[in-house]
Amino acid sequence: MARAAKSALVLCMDVGFSMSNSPPGEEPPFDQAKKVIQKFVQRQVFSESKDEMALVLFGTDATKNPLDQDGQYQHITVRRQLMAPDFELLEEIENHVRPESQQTDCIFSLVAVGLFIQRIKMLVKKYDRLNIVLLTDLSTQVSSDNLDVIIGNLGKLGITLQFLNFFIHMCDPENSNNMGNSYYRPGVGKGLSREQKQGLEMVRDIMLSLDEDEGLDQVYTFSEAIEQLFMFKHIERRPMAWPCQLTIGSSLSIRIVGYKAVTDEKLKKMWITVDAQTSKRDDVKRETVYCLDDDNETEVQKDDTIQGFRYGSDIVPFSKVDQEQMKYKHDGKCFAVLGFTKHDSVWCSLWFQTIKMFAPKDDEHAGVALSALIQALDKLNMVAIVRYAYDRRCNPQVGAAFPCIKQTYECLVYVQLPFMEDLRQFSFPSLENKKFTPSESQLAAVDSLIDSMMLVEEDENGQKEDMYKVHEIPNPAFQRLFQCLHHRAVNPGTPLPTMEQWLKDALERPSAISERCQAPLEEMKRKFPLKAVEKKKELKTGAQIFGKGSAEPDAKKSKVDEEEEEFNLAKISEGNVTSVGSVDPARDFRSLINQKSLPFGEVCQQLTHRIEQLLSNRSTHYYMKCITCIQTFREQSVKLGNADLYNSYLQSLKKSIPNSGLQVFWDLLVQGMISLFIGEEKKEVETEPAVDDAGDVDDLVSVCLNSSALKYLMFVS
Amino acid sequence: MINFVCLVLHNKRSAQFKKYLFIYLFIYFLFSPSVNYKVTGRDSLVFLVDASKEMFIKGEDGEPSNFDITMQCVRSVYTSKIISSHRDLVALVFYGTEKSKNPRNSFKHVYVYHDLDEPGAKRVQDVEALRGERGARLAADTMGSGEVSLGDALWCCSNLYSDIKLRLSHKRLMIFTCMDQPHGGDSTKDRQARTKAGDLKETGVVIDLMHLMKPGGFDVSLFFCDIVSPPEDESELGLQVEPCGKLDDLQKRVQAKQQKKRAMARVNLCLGEGMNVAVGVYANAVTARKPSAIRLYRETNEPVHSKTRTFHTQTGSLLLPSETRKAQVYGNRQIVMEKDEVDTIKKFYDPEIFLIGFKPMEKLKLHHHIRPSVLLYPEEQQVTGSSCVFAALLKKCTEKKVFAVCRYTPRRNYPPRFVALVPQREEVDESNVQVTPPGFNAIFLPFADDIRKLDTPQFPTASDVQVDKMKEIITKMRFKYRSDAFENPVIQQHYRNLEALALDMLAPESIEDFIMPKVEQIDRRLGPLVDEFKELVYPASYNPDSKPAAKHRQDNEKKPKVEIPEAELRAHIKNGTLGKLTVPVLKEACKQFGIRTTGTKKQELMDALIAQMAK
Repeated sequence: MARAAKSALVLCMDVGFSMSNSPPGEEPPFDQAKKVIQKFVQRQVFSESKDEMALVLFGTDATKNPLDQDGQYQHITVRRQLMAPDFELLEEIENHVRPESQQTDCIFSLVAVGLFIQRIKMLVKKYDRLNIVLLTDLSTQVSSDNLDVIIGNLGKLGITLQFLNFFIHMCDPENSNNMGNSYYRPGVGKGLSREQKQGLEMVRDIMLSLDEDEGLDQVYTFSEAIEQLFMFKHIERRPMAWPCQLTIGSSLSIRIVGYKAVTDEKLKKMWITVDAQTSKRDDVKRETVYCLDDDNETEVQKDDTIQGFRYGSDIVPFSKVDQEQMKYKHDGKCFAVLGFTKHDSVWCSLWFQTIKMFAPKDDEHAGVALSALIQALDKLNMVAIVRYAYDRRCNPQVGAAFPCIKQTYECLVYVQLPFMEDLRQFSFPSLENKKFTPSESQLAAVDSLIDSMMLVEEDENGQKEDMYKVHEIPNPAFQRLFQCLHHRAVNPGTPLPTMEQWLKDALERPSAISERCQAPLEEMKRKFPLKAVEKKKELKTGAQIFGKGSAEPDAKKSKVDEEEEEFNLAKISEGNVTSVGSVDPARDFRSLINQKSLPFGEVCQQLTHRIEQLLSNRSTHYYMKCITCIQTFREQSVKLGNADLYNSYLQSLKKSIPNSGLQVFWDLLVQGMISLFIGEEKKEVETEPAVDDAGDVDDLVSVCLNSSALKYLMFVS
Repeated sequence: MINFVCLVLHNKRSAQFKKYLFIYLFIYFLFSPSVNYKVTGRDSLVFLVDASKEMFIKGEDGEPSNFDITMQCVRSVYTSKIISSHRDLVALVFYGTEKSKNPRNSFKHVYVYHDLDEPGAKRVQDVEALRGERGARLAADTMGSGEVSLGDALWCCSNLYSDIKLRLSHKRLMIFTCMDQPHGGDSTKDRQARTKAGDLKETGVVIDLMHLMKPGGFDVSLFFCDIVSPPEDESELGLQVEPCGKLDDLQKRVQAKQQKKRAMARVNLCLGEGMNVAVGVYANAVTARKPSAIRLYRETNEPVHSKTRTFHTQTGSLLLPSETRKAQVYGNRQIVMEKDEVDTIKKFYDPEIFLIGFKPMEKLKLHHHIRPSVLLYPEEQQVTGSSCVFAALLKKCTEKKVFAVCRYTPRRNYPPRFVALVPQREEVDESNVQVTPPGFNAIFLPFADDIRKLDTPQFPTASDVQVDKMKEIITKMRFKYRSDAFENPVIQQHYRNLEALALDMLAPESIEDFIMPKVEQIDRRLGPLVDEFKELVYPASYNPDSKPAAKHRQDNEKKPKVEIPEAELRAHIKNGTLGKLTVPVLKEACKQFGIRTTGTKKQELMDALIAQMAK
């Protein structure tokens, strides 16, 4: 694989005396320049570029450079040799770059840098590009007699020196905006000192002599530079070429090359897990073991497992080898046209990425053939439906190839279309419903809202200007992540910073729009009454009845609510129970209550009748059934908040025990239940007689209503 | 949903072969969105099939008997259910049999062939056995035909339902019969059946009738109109009354209600401070994937479950989640964060769709999509008045030809994305069936990072003659695209394979690869046009199928250079200095010794070579 193009960049910063001078109220150029460098290095660090970087300071009190001989090249310090930027460099900038008091001719130092680079060049290292960025206010005296030497020197480096960036601090903020392009126009540089003007002239000479077309645009002011650098660099990926042939039928083929053009870009780096104490990755190990579903959870080796697939209630063993053998196979790379169709008939999209198809660079004939296809599609307003397979290992796709004609180029744009299996064709109730049809005045309100919120407007020249270009916003997720990572790296131990203001602003409605839409929005609010519906809650949740500990998180609670609701649904549908039968009276009773087809009183009567019947059998088996019935009776009464019937029934039952010789049953009942009477645990169900009676029985059964018991009560079924 | 079914029916009428229809049906079951399976209960379906003698009468011209058709249908539903939502419960009950088999054996002439349970391979084979000539014989042997009592049959079915202890979300009972008067006019039995049907319906069971062909026509109004559940929609009434004799119609009816419409999210569409409209977010398309494999123990074929543990390498003790942190390395430095910090970094806003503004439609770049679009539809249940605002917005956006730019945060701790809300008006076809639903299509817009810069080569554009020739080609190859026309051959093949293995079939059913170009047809259609076009654009010597000659020569020149004598290679291996060789050299060496390597990594190549030499 060819190594990615590598470039070298030397940051030359003037830290001299004049840099720390500034008119009152303004940031001194030194601080601004430092910020620029910091931002720039940050970007490089997080974009993980292979570009190497060096930092040279001039105007330093000390001298430290390889050319330091015989008192030449004084006050120039090489702070860092060319190498990949990292946090160390950032820290060095943060801590060691400070204003100093010497003055050095900036052009002169350029020479130094030039020589410096030349030396490096000789040392095997190969760079595709060499850039020098010079940060200075140009306010030192420039010796023009050196100019020839400089140009000569830079020229020696030839094409490798591509451009120079001068960050010039302007004293006059009014002019700073057009400085970039037209700094040498007479009159503009009003605020410039004589030295600065002279410096600019010099710069211009160098630029021109280096025969750089763009050279003249490469001058920025500090504030512009900060603006440019405020965000972390975009992810830039070199698109991989995908050469293939577009085929129509068996005999017509056109050579094409595809490039991914738009795709949902993800970060390359993932979070790794480290030990909390040592912060070492190697200290943490994850392992996956396979266990049988037996009581011991016997572990089995991974090699002793095979794969299977579910087929209904069965699992069919289907080894990887078999799967590979039997799977769908195809011929590999292909871009074959199935047919052509109307452009507007392909709308529903499964578009994860778009691929642009060009003809190969060196193949003019293919270019013409492809152009014919693109033009024809465009004129007929058609698209090609194609079978696309990246290679033999990848699954084939069906997709559409759209013509795309730009001023400078033509291409086919390929997007994936959904398979039938992927489609979710839902139909929705029509909105052309009388209930929802907006009135004229409502429509008018919407109309004015839309007008007030148009993001694209024509200026006086008829030029349309888009004030919110989403495709120019960097992905906020990356920006925020980098911001936090940077903060943590530089300031360990401090809490994460808040989101940067520019990012916040970039994601908000433009202020012009939010001002403009105020009035129409108020109008909308008046015209359209909106009311949030309170989420319906099941009235009889355990929490509400028993006042469950509020410590439990809400999420958990709502889950319980849901369960409760569904549970009831399930019970409602338990079958067509019309009366409390003898087979499973408790269930019938519950179902009837849930169905609500019969009044509660009647159902209870049926149940008690059934209980009497069962009790008359005098057998432990039936007793158990009765206890279940009574438990259910109790549970349902609690649920419905109606305890009268239950309590009174239990009273009468209790009274009847001695006469009917059912003491055995009663004992069983007392054992089997947590609490007989309803009343003490639930204040809402105030049942006057029951409260008294409850006092009666309480001494019989020691009642302890702990939470687990409550749960038991709730979920007994 | 009903409308959707009609749509399917419409498509299907054009199909000619029953076989094809089977596949069709199969697929429709296959991909009902089981992905979003929310535990609200399972669907259940009981086939209540008439087994009286009339069902076994064959049609003229050797057409299969009604019983046979029914079994085909049941089988296809079984196989489809297995794939689409195997958790659903299915039962097969025969009535009008001579023998009886049901829990507690309390009903005569009712034969529960399959209890209400998840379908599996065994059941499919059982039903398969009941098909055709032999199936009829088997049915006669095991069940026979006897007296009919629909009331008892329904009662038995209701017991099946009540014996299920699981939550059932949807209960459906389908009666297959060709008898419009099952009891031959016995009013007591009729009444009994009606009462039982009424009971069933009360417990939420939907009763459907699949009336089959019968000489003289099937008259629903004689008896069954009181049995079946009233149609949910008036438009369905028409369908109900029409007898469905054909297999395809029958199958179409069976596959009803399979697609579950579930919102991916319910969020507020915020127009501005205090103006929140509730909307549901629905997927238009979701990539269907092969189901994931289950790991089995080799010896017993029982499923194993996996456990993942995190432990300390030094001490060997298990680490709690709180004892670990997350880290990334940038600029030679490891940056460590707490887990919840990692989450908070992702959090920007609460879930919402926030309106930024509007743009004219022509500003939407067609191909600037990065994810499948989703559909927004108002949720009146959450915020009353939502539908009205939504309808007004939809109307005005369509009229003014604008789309809305919004910031969409689907979930908490989820960074925002920008979406373009493109209005979509409801469209219905001539029979008033919804083709496209009303709503806003939310199209995800790329950020700056998502767009790649490309070097665009420049070529001379084609001349009018060339373009016109291509136009002719295009016109010859026009077809009407329907989004549901292409099946995914990969998934289809997988399911066929699975089915073949599960049902002990000799070979999997073959699939048709719909995304393969029909080369012969294309060639025939285009005829001489291709050559004419080629003559116009390509010079005689040009062959688009071959690689550019220059490159070839280069390759040839390179090749001899990288070859390495075997002795030298062995020396390298012996001395462990194989790593000194470059990847191209290693690759060439692999080729030399006939080693097939899939890897491109150096280590892989080296390993392969060492392995080969050791032999």
